[in-house]
Amino acid sequence: MKLKQMMVSGMKSMLQRTGMNRYFIVVPYIVGMGLFLLLTGCEQSQPPEFRLNMVQMVSLETAPAYQQEIADVLGALFGTPDEPFAMPETGLDQSQLKLAAGPAWSGEEGSVYGLYRKHCVHCHGVTGDGRGPTARFLNPYPRDYRAGTYKFKSTYNATKPTDKDLYAVLYHGVPGTAMPSFALLPSSEIETLVEYVKYLSMRGQMETELINYVAEELGEEDGERIPFDPVSDQEQRGVIQEILAEIASDWGASAENVIQAEEAQLPQENRTAEEIAASVELGRALFYGNKANCLKCHGPTALGDGQRDDQDIWNKSNKKFQDDTALLLERVNENQGTSDLDAAGRERLATDVKVLAVRETVAARLYPVRNAIPRNLRKGIYRGGRRPLDIYRRVHAGIPGTPMPGSGPASLGAKGTLTDVEIWNVVDYVLSLPYEGPSQPQRALPVNAQNIAN
Amino acid sequence: MSTVTTDAHYTSAEGAHAHTAGFLKTYVFSLDHKIIGLQFLFSTLIWFIVGGMLALGIRWQLAFPWRSMPLLGEWLASPEGGQIAPENYTMLVTMHASIMIFFVIIPVLAGAFGNFLIPLMIGADDMAFPVLNMLSYWFMWPAFLFMGSSFFVEGGAAQGGWTSYPPLSVLQDAAPGSLNGQTLWLLGLTLVGISSMLGSVNYMTTIIQMRAPGMTMFRLPMTIWSMFITAILQAFALPVLTAAGLMQLGDRVLGTGFFLPAGATAGNAMVASGGGQPLLWQHLFWFYSHPAVYIMILPAMGMVSDIISCFARKPLFGYKPMVYSISGIAGLGFIVWGHHMFVSGMNAALGMTFMVSTMMIALPSAIKTFNWLGTIWGGKIQYTTPMLFALSFVSMFIIGGLSGIFMAATPVDIFIHDTYFIVAHFHYVLFCGTAMAVFGAIYYWFPKMFGRMMNDSWGKVHFAATFILMNCVFYPMHILGMKGFPRRLADPYHYETFSNLLELNQFMSYCAFLLVGLQIVFFVNFFWSMFFGPRAGRNPWHSNGLEWQAPSPPGHGNFDFQPVIYRGPYEYGSPEVEEDYYPQTQPPPVVQ
Amino acid sequence: MNRFWSLLFLLVPIGGVATFVVAPYYNIWLPRDVSEQGHKIDSLFMFILWLTGIVFIGTQLVFVYFSWKYEAGTNKQPVKYSHGSHSLEVVWTILPAVTLLFIAIYQMDAWAEAKMRTPGLLPIVEVTGRQFNWDFRYPGPDGELYTRDDIVRTDGNLYLPVDEQVLLRITSADVLHSFFLPNMRLKQDVVPGMDQSMWFKAKQEGQFDIVCAELCGWGHYKMKGRVHFVTRADFDAQLETFRQEQNKVLADPPVVR
Repeated sequence: MKLKQMMVSGMKSMLQRTGMNRYFIVVPYIVGMGLFLLLTGCEQSQPPEFRLNMVQMVSLETAPAYQQEIADVLGALFGTPDEPFAMPETGLDQSQLKLAAGPAWSGEEGSVYGLYRKHCVHCHGVTGDGRGPTARFLNPYPRDYRAGTYKFKSTYNATKPTDKDLYAVLYHGVPGTAMPSFALLPSSEIETLVEYVKYLSMRGQMETELINYVAEELGEEDGERIPFDPVSDQEQRGVIQEILAEIASDWGASAENVIQAEEAQLPQENRTAEEIAASVELGRALFYGNKANCLKCHGPTALGDGQRDDQDIWNKSNKKFQDDTALLLERVNENQGTSDLDAAGRERLATDVKVLAVRETVAARLYPVRNAIPRNLRKGIYRGGRRPLDIYRRVHAGIPGTPMPGSGPASLGAKGTLTDVEIWNVVDYVLSLPYEGPSQPQRALPVNAQNIAN
Repeated sequence: MSTVTTDAHYTSAEGAHAHTAGFLKTYVFSLDHKIIGLQFLFSTLIWFIVGGMLALGIRWQLAFPWRSMPLLGEWLASPEGGQIAPENYTMLVTMHASIMIFFVIIPVLAGAFGNFLIPLMIGADDMAFPVLNMLSYWFMWPAFLFMGSSFFVEGGAAQGGWTSYPPLSVLQDAAPGSLNGQTLWLLGLTLVGISSMLGSVNYMTTIIQMRAPGMTMFRLPMTIWSMFITAILQAFALPVLTAAGLMQLGDRVLGTGFFLPAGATAGNAMVASGGGQPLLWQHLFWFYSHPAVYIMILPAMGMVSDIISCFARKPLFGYKPMVYSISGIAGLGFIVWGHHMFVSGMNAALGMTFMVSTMMIALPSAIKTFNWLGTIWGGKIQYTTPMLFALSFVSMFIIGGLSGIFMAATPVDIFIHDTYFIVAHFHYVLFCGTAMAVFGAIYYWFPKMFGRMMNDSWGKVHFAATFILMNCVFYPMHILGMKGFPRRLADPYHYETFSNLLELNQFMSYCAFLLVGLQIVFFVNFFWSMFFGPRAGRNPWHSNGLEWQAPSPPGHGNFDFQPVIYRGPYEYGSPEVEEDYYPQTQPPPVVQ
Repeated sequence: MNRFWSLLFLLVPIGGVATFVVAPYYNIWLPRDVSEQGHKIDSLFMFILWLTGIVFIGTQLVFVYFSWKYEAGTNKQPVKYSHGSHSLEVVWTILPAVTLLFIAIYQMDAWAEAKMRTPGLLPIVEVTGRQFNWDFRYPGPDGELYTRDDIVRTDGNLYLPVDEQVLLRITSADVLHSFFLPNMRLKQDVVPGMDQSMWFKAKQEGQFDIVCAELCGWGHYKMKGRVHFVTRADFDAQLETFRQEQNKVLADPPVVR
């Protein structure tokens, strides 16, 4: 008691002596507390959530109730971005996913939590839909994993990539795009990220299939909504298990689908310059011939100046959505302009207006459509790798998701447009293009020097 | 004290010069240099807060990389995990620098104090061209709007660094902020340039033409000399920047290729043209921006000289050498720009010549520092708040000046270029130097601006907190730079070399948060004193300067008498008079 | 109370020196130098550090002493009514001028060595900065760049022989970058459309960071590389491995997990 009085009086006299008043203590206290709260208390922001595939849902006119149910089912199957979960059927390693997911924190040495959010999220997004904050400004756009389609891989066109393929993309990066190499990460971390990318792909594929299933099988029956509730509905549970098994088996079978070049037809090591030149000549003939028809897109000069008005599947689906929305808008405008609508017409107009409103909000968030630009083969930059083997695979299987078709057999045992030998000839020609002297006569000159850049 | 300075002889300022003008004419579109100066001051204080907040974002990312940021986080970071996206980090560093340089330091020195003080200190009733003066302020507003709105356009504000080096700043696909933010940034920059240009023409004319009778050039206070030299620097260097800015705008908008080499691409993006040279921009930019470095420090030096002399109650040591040395800076300042480009790919032989000229430009600064030390030697130092800030300027400028020698030495610069050593250097000059001088100047001339005193005790609290914290924030940057820690890196810790620097950065960040937070002491003091501070007389500091002979605050037309000048502004402790000060307007005693 | 402020100012030289004394113990100092020419830059740095350090301590102490001694309440002497001293001005103009000029001339040799005296070597590798990666192109067996047998690596690992003067050709594919080797004390901006060289001799084997030191866009912090200094034999072997890897036509046998 005495001590307290002494302290108070001492404080008072000190304040008086120094000409300060009590605000000198109160105000810094408030400021300090405010700063403390700012630094510690307000950090709890909303945990991120997986975004739903609204383009598909709105296209198929999935009702909001179903949207919620699909989200719930997906949550039960795959967890959240902070707490990922993988069904044993997927073959994914739960502990790897845990390392990759969650908030990033490069704190103490050796901590590797939140790898995906540290290295990938700002382009590929939390959902893996290629819509991170940076994505809008990249050209080309970052990959949307949800389709499960990957461009640079060793397997047949329609099949899934192997882990090694995904690893290679992370290791070497994708030259000519904003995707850097992650070779300097420990290989265990790259493997972890590969696992998480596969997880996001499977989740996305599952979502797509579920939306399709709901649109096709469920809906209103006798004025009553059939709920999508696999917990209580045995049949729906079976369907989900079926889809999951199919997705998992696709991914599991990737290693079996690796394209094996015929060893007998491989180009020999230590070929002489003449032999290579002969092969290049054959490749050139194929390049400009009707059989391979490379010049259609890559252009008569191989500068990538052929057909440039096509899109890859990701841009195409967005474009279709935007085009449909535009058509709907046109129809609505037309109908609103006419005064003599019958009752049915008026009803249809009312639904159209409602649908249009939903579609327009989704369409507004889509990125501008970008065309697929054929590679300029004279730059010597190869996105999927520059080994003859890589080029062989590109020519053989094409580039999934893009207008680049495969020229080899589409699956094991099928017959392709080109034989293995012919593919190797094209490979030789493509690899010779960057070193072709500028004075070498070309079949056509670039029409517009501005387009040479790529 | 002579009768000339007593208040009793004058009617009140309002009475003598009352103009019946509307609110808009008096306070918004005013032609009065004092109102324009205050308009500049308030605008820059607001941008000072914005720039400080941006700095906190940078410090947050450096202390807690990829953690979601409180408050501003959601907006800056987007919903993807709440972390600062890397392009937003580059936006933060770009806009922190741009705002602090173009919207705070340059306008607060030349715009606010230049405007407010020049006519008062030379004995004029206003600027030579009042309308031009008003325009120089109102040309800032489109610049404010352009740069301010650029935060909200798609892609965010500029992200090419405040130096805006092409091709990054020219290629639309190279950086997200290059979408529209960069164009707005360039427009803003051009308008700031126009504003400064109008101001500098005005200052030169006013100082040359409108001095009061007896106010010879060598009786001008250092503040006016430094403003004069600054105006000259601006007038000669700015056109280059404006031209360069327009060229870069042309590259971005019209597809010209001044700064774009052929064949540069970014991803799938196409380059419309080529044949340019990226280094050309660097030469043009630094041809302005190096003199701009002096534009950002000389007026502070001038004001500090005045404050130190006043509170040391002693004449300024070496007035003429001081004048000669800042004039020397005006000449040398134009031939040292290459020292920003030692590792840019510029001809290495040029590097040698620029090294010599750069070493030489350190000389005037050294002379000035010694003169300030000479000024406080043998004085009677009064530790008022403005004096503390001015003295801390001297102390901090020694650090900022000495660290500059490392950069001037080309081989050493190879290593420390673009590291935190540079960041430490220019923060010591600009924040610990100029900003402290500006704080001091605000405390010093506040009575003249508003007729009231700021609270001295609170001012000292503000000073002590700022002084200690800013050293905790900026001094460790030197050793970070020695480690090779590069600037503008969103997450440096994934480099092995820099992985042990996180803790030091966290310490610096905590200090930075406190530093910015405690500026509230200043703002509360400032606005409270504006309305409730004790009334100040004409000359509360017993200062010699001519401005202190005018009423506080001075009415329209400034002086209620015709000032006649008998001596320089630093006659403190003169044996001729009893008081320890001797105002410039006081006639010498009649010889018996 | 007023003299408290001069004690506050005294913290500046004390803290300033203490920081530099303590920093090496926390490994916040010049990074390990593994190059032949780096010690020149280091010794120049230390030379300037000592010089400026002494000036720093000297001026700060004079400043603190004056602010302590001439505080208005304690200084009973009349104010020294002095407008300056011509001879002092001359002294403190000439002295720094000579010192600064000396520093400038003293540095020129190291500068010329690092940036001007290009050795007559063929480039051992071409380094290309691009958003956001360092790509490396080694000349193949023919020793010439830009021919079919070039070996191109995009994985950020640069291999160089140790104990050997090497010449790097460095350039950029898109925007400005800066090729910074902290352990070599070397840095050079790369400018698209300009060919630039960098040369050095590593003295120790090991792996060291390659840092991008010029703002190159949002992924600036990602432009990390690693330089491996290996013996000449290992270097040749590494290049041969790369060459075989690059000429690969047959996939490895699939590994089924």
